[in-house]
Amino acid sequence: MITLAHYIVLGAVLFCIAVAGIFINRKNVIVLLMAIELMLLAVNINFIAFSRFFGDVAGQVFVFFILTVAAAESAIGLAILTLLFRNRRTINVAEFDDLRG
Amino acid sequence: MLAQLLLVLWTLAKVLAITLPLVIAVAMFVYWERKVIGWMHVRMGPNQVGPLGLLQAFADVVKLLIKEIVVPTNANRFLFFLAPMLALVPALAAWAVIPFSDGLVLSNINAGVLYLLAMTSMGVYGIILAGWASNSRYALLGAMRSAAQMVSYELAMGLALVCVLVLAGSLNLSRIVEAQGGGLLHWFWLPLLPMAVIYFVSGTAETNRAPFDVAEGESEIVAGFHVEYSGSAFALFFLAEYANMILVAFLASILFFGGWLSPFPSTWGPIGQGSFFWLLTKAFLLAFLFLWFRASFPRYRYDQIMRLGWKVFIPIALVWVLVAGLLKYFHIVTPGA
Amino acid sequence: MTIQLLAFYFFAFFAVLGALLVITLRNPVHAVLSLVLTFFSVACIWMLMQAEFLALVLIVVYVGAVMVLFLFVVMMLDIKVAAAREGFIRHLPVGIGVALIMLAEMVTLIGLRAMQVAPPPNPAAMHGESNVAWIGTALYTQYLLPFEVAAMILTVGIVAAVALTLRHRVGVRHQNASQQVAAVARDRVRLVSMPAERGDPGAQP
Repeated sequence: MITLAHYIVLGAVLFCIAVAGIFINRKNVIVLLMAIELMLLAVNINFIAFSRFFGDVAGQVFVFFILTVAAAESAIGLAILTLLFRNRRTINVAEFDDLRG
Repeated sequence: MLAQLLLVLWTLAKVLAITLPLVIAVAMFVYWERKVIGWMHVRMGPNQVGPLGLLQAFADVVKLLIKEIVVPTNANRFLFFLAPMLALVPALAAWAVIPFSDGLVLSNINAGVLYLLAMTSMGVYGIILAGWASNSRYALLGAMRSAAQMVSYELAMGLALVCVLVLAGSLNLSRIVEAQGGGLLHWFWLPLLPMAVIYFVSGTAETNRAPFDVAEGESEIVAGFHVEYSGSAFALFFLAEYANMILVAFLASILFFGGWLSPFPSTWGPIGQGSFFWLLTKAFLLAFLFLWFRASFPRYRYDQIMRLGWKVFIPIALVWVLVAGLLKYFHIVTPGA
Repeated sequence: MTIQLLAFYFFAFFAVLGALLVITLRNPVHAVLSLVLTFFSVACIWMLMQAEFLALVLIVVYVGAVMVLFLFVVMMLDIKVAAAREGFIRHLPVGIGVALIMLAEMVTLIGLRAMQVAPPPNPAAMHGESNVAWIGTALYTQYLLPFEVAAMILTVGIVAAVALTLRHRVGVRHQNASQQVAAVARDRVRLVSMPAERGDPGAQP
């Protein structure tokens, strides 16, 4: 029998992996974007699990919206990434420091 | 537990009962393609192996299987071998929800159309990975072209599907066929004629067939994404492409041409009854169109393909979603019995 | 141990494995593919919760479109992996430490024992409809306004992505389809009436 705890722990594990990913890949924009996607996915698992176990449709509707917004976000993120790479020839976050005083 | 195990084995048997005839159908379809294109070019086509050249396809299979698979230097071995399988698996998995006749379907799920969209959208990975892992410029160019092309045409295809499911009121493929009951004029090709055309043309583009075969483009980028593949790895790509073509033909007949339903009134005895025979006939005629296209049209240029997808098909499809909604709202098209 | 539970562990294993590979692999193409593996496994897990609509949407939208976009960008950019990996080893202990502490906190908060609830019957089936119809009804009635706002966000996303990456290079010759369609014979061919030429009798042929 799969209990609610199974799903929520899976969500927590994926979320923590994504957080660790952001810590250890601080220079690489692509991995940072992917870690954000991973976090949203982990959150979505929780939403769907609660929706399923409490019988409330709101959780699944919310996941639908999160997927929509995350898709738009990654499209714009990648557009910015290509633009940055075109102008600076690098994806290293540490080198994008033009605004530093 | 034993009951569950038996269920798994029974399902496996059903899976085999679909895939084996499919693979044989692919072989015969390849033979048919070469014959038809030969006739259209006023040639003979294959006529040496077996009676009328019927065993040509099997001879080709044997030839491909005993050939050596050459892995290019600096190619990514894992992805190089993963790619053909990634191309084939979605092409075969999509057949799980195809209703061959009333009730004759492996998995009668409620979200059948969505499942099909999901499976066809995964087919692109095989091609991209093949192009990237080959470590070849031609292959990478082919992969890039096909990635953008397949994602673009998926949109038009998805919108055409939306029109169908607005009229049918269901995502279940069996329900969609039943909603077209009542004779030739109740099939969805009539109210959704532009969508039927868009669906089929998008299907041609999705399967990278001529005149949209820029991903292969023999005369410009040699063979595109599978230029470095040989032997059985190439055979898997070949199988996936033809399985996808037959799938698109089956889907077009299910979504727009009444699936297993008979075009004749039910009072006409045996030929008035719906059966697998009708689905097969419709799918065969539609699959023939693929060959006709290939023999007739020159290859589109890449930017022309993109313009057709984004600036012609998607706007028409968007408008027709509205038309389909109005047809449904004013009960001009009602789901049949 | 039912087949469902076995399936859950199977998919969960690959989801976590994929996630770990995403953050550790050196080659960005491999990292993107691992993320695809994670998405696919999680879609299967959603399927186990009878959320088939969202599971399939996840595959269509993420596996089929967003990750292809990622792959496309990663393949097009000539990324120097070594520079991007700078500081990987140095931050590794911090990353693992923070992740483990967060995980411990979350699991404590969840309260594993309290959450050992059995799944109730499928809520969509209790309403006598499929999961798709269940979500669809809510989406088009109660959540209509958010739904339209989401559509607006997507439109803004398209416009922004195109506006950011569009560049006009000089010297590229584009085909102008409307100009071609609008072309008439009058613009291309000029018919002039002139008297027939009489060849000069003295000239060499």
